[in-house]
Amino acid sequence: MASSSQFKQLEKLGNGTYATVYKGLNKTTGVYVALKEVKLDSEEGTPSTAVREISLMKELKHENIVRLYDVIHTENKLTLVFEFMDNDLKKYMDSRMVGNTPYGFEMSLVKYFEWQLLQGVAFCHENRILHRDLKPQNLLINNKGQLKLGDFGLARAFGIPVNTFSSEVVTLWYRAPDVLMGSRTYSTSIDIWSCGCILAEMITGRPLFPGTNDEEQLKLIFETMGTPTERTWPEISTLPKYNPQLPQHLPQDLGALLQSQTREKIDSTLVDLLYGLLQPNPERRLSAKQALNHPWFAEYYQ
Amino acid sequence: MSVQESEDVSKLNKESTSSSNAIENGPAPGNSATPEVSIGSPVPNIALPANFSECSRGDLVSLISRMLSFLIQINDSLVPKEQNELTRFHSRVPPQISVYDYLMRLTRYSALEPAVLIASVYYIDLFTAIYPAFSLNSLTVHRFLLTATAVASKGLCDSFCTNTHYAKVGGVQCSELHVLENDFLKRVNYRILPRDDNILNCKLERRDGLFVTDTYPKGNVRGPNNGFNVLDTYYRKIIEIVGSYDSSPDKTKRAHYSLELGSCKKDEDPSKRKRFLEESDCDAATTSKKPA
Repeated sequence: MASSSQFKQLEKLGNGTYATVYKGLNKTTGVYVALKEVKLDSEEGTPSTAVREISLMKELKHENIVRLYDVIHTENKLTLVFEFMDNDLKKYMDSRMVGNTPYGFEMSLVKYFEWQLLQGVAFCHENRILHRDLKPQNLLINNKGQLKLGDFGLARAFGIPVNTFSSEVVTLWYRAPDVLMGSRTYSTSIDIWSCGCILAEMITGRPLFPGTNDEEQLKLIFETMGTPTERTWPEISTLPKYNPQLPQHLPQDLGALLQSQTREKIDSTLVDLLYGLLQPNPERRLSAKQALNHPWFAEYYQ
Repeated sequence: MSVQESEDVSKLNKESTSSSNAIENGPAPGNSATPEVSIGSPVPNIALPANFSECSRGDLVSLISRMLSFLIQINDSLVPKEQNELTRFHSRVPPQISVYDYLMRLTRYSALEPAVLIASVYYIDLFTAIYPAFSLNSLTVHRFLLTATAVASKGLCDSFCTNTHYAKVGGVQCSELHVLENDFLKRVNYRILPRDDNILNCKLERRDGLFVTDTYPKGNVRGPNNGFNVLDTYYRKIIEIVGSYDSSPDKTKRAHYSLELGSCKKDEDPSKRKRFLEESDCDAATTSKKPA
């Protein structure tokens, strides 16, 4: 197991939710790593985010999930040694803005990134793990065009039956409507909604549903996807924060909406996939496996 | 290794609010923890639900404390206390508070979930598998339970408390709980997810000095629910071993426990499960320290 003297600490890469991340160099192997430093709290001890991230990520060996190589214990901090990645999807999208105008990616790149995202998510779900915080900032990319899931601080194993499922999960813009309405019985579909939001965002360069609070978030979702009814979503009235007086909106043409924001061609198979990922009713949402088998990805699996 | 006794678990008793201001969030545990003695009347039968997550916490605490008492009896008799190698989990003298009362106290004031309670039993097997100096006995059981339940709550559940809170309830100083938690996590190499191949992987990592094992045995298939069925297995085994009141060393709760009839789970393939029990040494809580 590694000791801290094995790594040379280089520049700061950023402040995470509960840690500071540095670039590091493994002096023995010459390989770059990301060093995530977690301070041990005098009240909390080892933060639960660190306990989860380490226990879950050490099991997840997949080319679309950032590898956790090691954990170094020192007096009052833990250092998590991760595979080094050049960038994250958020920064990469921002770097493509011209002035204040966002630009989406070429369709081939959108497809390659979404394919890798769904591969990583499918692997988590097979291993009975929910990520619960998928968003461009947490998707890391490298110069080879690889995309990997990172930051498992909110993740949990869903194979263990526990009674408390928090609905305070996933960053607002990527949070599914069932979770926004207080569902505590969500499962893998929570991550799929985020994958749909990210797909649309890669196409246009703009977040699909940029709400500022829970109510506005739901409003934005229903204005585009249509207000769900008990016919399209029978269990909706059982959700804790369901509001029967929701303004009724008809679904908009998502294809036309996205087409107005990109020069790339939005074809009908892509629109069909988007509707599959962005079904407001979680029961109707595609699984990661189903999404990977969608005709839009035919060139990858044929 | 010296064991700090300043805020001492050994001074806790079930009514105690002294020693560490252990209870700030409510009154002391009531009389329900008192043994129900009504000699002569038949011992009631309690049918437990198939899913442990639906089991009442009172019944689970009772079952688990029976299981632990059973283990402690064996381990105390195998190695005389004075010959015990000291670990961070040792008290100098056995704490006054019984295992049942202590576990009930932790469960109430830290709102422990059924999965956390069963995971703590699983952690006994995990911990002893990789830490031979440790055995669960009358000197180690309290600190072990406190640490195991805190780690399981933080690692497996969405609602959990701070170590400050767990330490207060458990009657140790917070700094000591930090040390215990760190000791536990480091030794089990953060392998706290109760899967059927977890103990095996943990042993391999320890043997090879690796953070993550690469020598995952080929052809080893995880059981139902991707190996997370292990807690179900423990629940069933515990009922099997100590469900009967007569054979249990802990007589706190007068009841015979058995599983509800027809409660075999649909998704389980019995032949597969059997194979798992044989191959991945997850025999529920039967690990005991061999005589030195």
